[in-house]
Amino acid sequence: MTGLAAAARVAGEATTGSEHSASTVVVALAIAVFVGTYVFIATEWVHRVAAALFGAALMVVIGATDAEAAFFSEETGVDWQVIFLLLGMMIIVGVVKQTGVFEYLAIWAAKKARGRPYTVLAMLCTITAVASALLDNVTTVLLVAPVTLLVCDRIGVRPEGFLIAEVMASNIGGTATLIGDPPNIIIASRADLSFNDFLVNLAPFVVVAFAVFLVLARWLFRRSFTYDPERARAVMEMDERRAIRDPALLRRSLVVLGLVMLGFVLHSALHLEPSIIALLGAGLLVVVSRTPTAEYLDEVEWPTLVFFMGLFVMVGALVNVGVIGALGEAAIQAVGDDYFRAATGLLFGSAVLSGIVDNIPYVASMAPLVSDLVEAGGGAAGADALWWALALGADLGGNATAVGASANVVVIGIAARNGYPISFWQFTRYGLIVTAVTVALAWPYLYLRFYAFG
Amino acid sequence: MRARDLAEPFPVVHLDTPALDASRLLVERSLPGLVVVDREGLPLVILPGSQVLRFALPEYVEEDRTLAAVYSEKDADALCESLRGRTVAELMPSSQFLPKKSSARPIVDPDANLMEVAAAMAEQHSPVVAVVDNGEILGVITVHRLLGAALPR
Repeated sequence: MTGLAAAARVAGEATTGSEHSASTVVVALAIAVFVGTYVFIATEWVHRVAAALFGAALMVVIGATDAEAAFFSEETGVDWQVIFLLLGMMIIVGVVKQTGVFEYLAIWAAKKARGRPYTVLAMLCTITAVASALLDNVTTVLLVAPVTLLVCDRIGVRPEGFLIAEVMASNIGGTATLIGDPPNIIIASRADLSFNDFLVNLAPFVVVAFAVFLVLARWLFRRSFTYDPERARAVMEMDERRAIRDPALLRRSLVVLGLVMLGFVLHSALHLEPSIIALLGAGLLVVVSRTPTAEYLDEVEWPTLVFFMGLFVMVGALVNVGVIGALGEAAIQAVGDDYFRAATGLLFGSAVLSGIVDNIPYVASMAPLVSDLVEAGGGAAGADALWWALALGADLGGNATAVGASANVVVIGIAARNGYPISFWQFTRYGLIVTAVTVALAWPYLYLRFYAFG
Repeated sequence: MRARDLAEPFPVVHLDTPALDASRLLVERSLPGLVVVDREGLPLVILPGSQVLRFALPEYVEEDRTLAAVYSEKDADALCESLRGRTVAELMPSSQFLPKKSSARPIVDPDANLMEVAAAMAEQHSPVVAVVDNGEILGVITVHRLLGAALPR
């Protein structure tokens, strides 16, 4: 905390960058509120939504922010691009999940694999990773976990390893795109990075990291791979086509999902923000699928959206009173023009912190700071690449522990309800290895791609 | 009319009764549900027939109904195999759904009037309530029996 205290002093003395100059008392109070809220979020002493809302309310009460700054400022308020992109994608998912396409794909894959456990795991993980790149991670694992339990039940293997592998595949796959993981959505909005920027800069690495992960999984989960040809026959008897109850709905959903992806890719030609494209897609899908309002709105995770809003107001207040500016100033001094060292610190630091706290609040708080650093770089390639270091660290770090990402918590819950409890350490034992390997791969990637030939 | 006038004998099952035996009882005697008693012999919970069926379903099928369709006919026929080797205790709703207060148990007083009996059934979503006097089961009232007595002729 001494760093923050120093920042408070600096910010109190020189709040030149901010809208209005805040008194030292307000700055100190704002830091106290922020740190306090973080402790509550990390320890889960109160629900994270309640913590974020209460923190945001306190920021208003102490005068660190106001309605103008919280609701209408891009710098210091709620990032509506993020909120509405999430909302649009959640509605799209609400319709797509009813089609049964995930159940179809998973059972089709298990049959293609002829019930051989490792092949089944590799195929299910690949489906999960691709789906996570296009949809929210939590939704993907919610769809893939029940069918995995069914398949494991049929081939007579314990499902824990399969479920853990899938959630990791989901976190790795989600790293690849702008919409794959919430931290990426925040980064994209803050840094004004396009869907294609993510595809070009992160997706190639994610493909390699995922391939390495599959090889690693063969060894990590080797005890789950007992093969019984007799049981494998039960898999072949399942009929995946019956999972698709409404082929017309499936066709329409896939067409709209395709159009949304095309819209993201054509961003520079269309000049439509990702949030607008997601909302247009959601609107179109709702109309052509004729899904009842209550049904698709049921999939919208309102608590998550409210959590984001609370976080944005809180972090915005820190920006508003100049704390982030002061920290950024200090970071710029420390980094100088050694951007590779900064990227290294950001990558490994983010991986460690994201394993401990939810990566959403982490990235929401770090984004304004990284933004300052990148701006100070004045367009140098090495400075811009700091965003990728943040994204890779935060996304891949989510695998490290059982609480590192929301998808982990969700899958552990499903496993427990089905009679396969996965303890914190059982997950974390695998998570630490996978995170260490993938982050260790990300480091040379960053170096070779952005720094070695600069 | 009072609850004691309607009470009729009814088999009860214990927490350690094998699940298959309990289910067979349901079928052979055409019962609307199972009365599960605790160690003191007091009715703990009523498992309606539909609830017993639910426990034959894997949890993942309940979470994702689409999966029910992909089973082959043969495997779907073997639905109740999952009850083999399990006891009634394992079929019970998880402890958070079990009545904590005695007032929430599927029990009525022998002196309860028909309105009270009907209210107890409706509140518990149960087709059966037990009539208990001083810790002893006098009998049970099924929804059939109640309606038969209460419907205008």
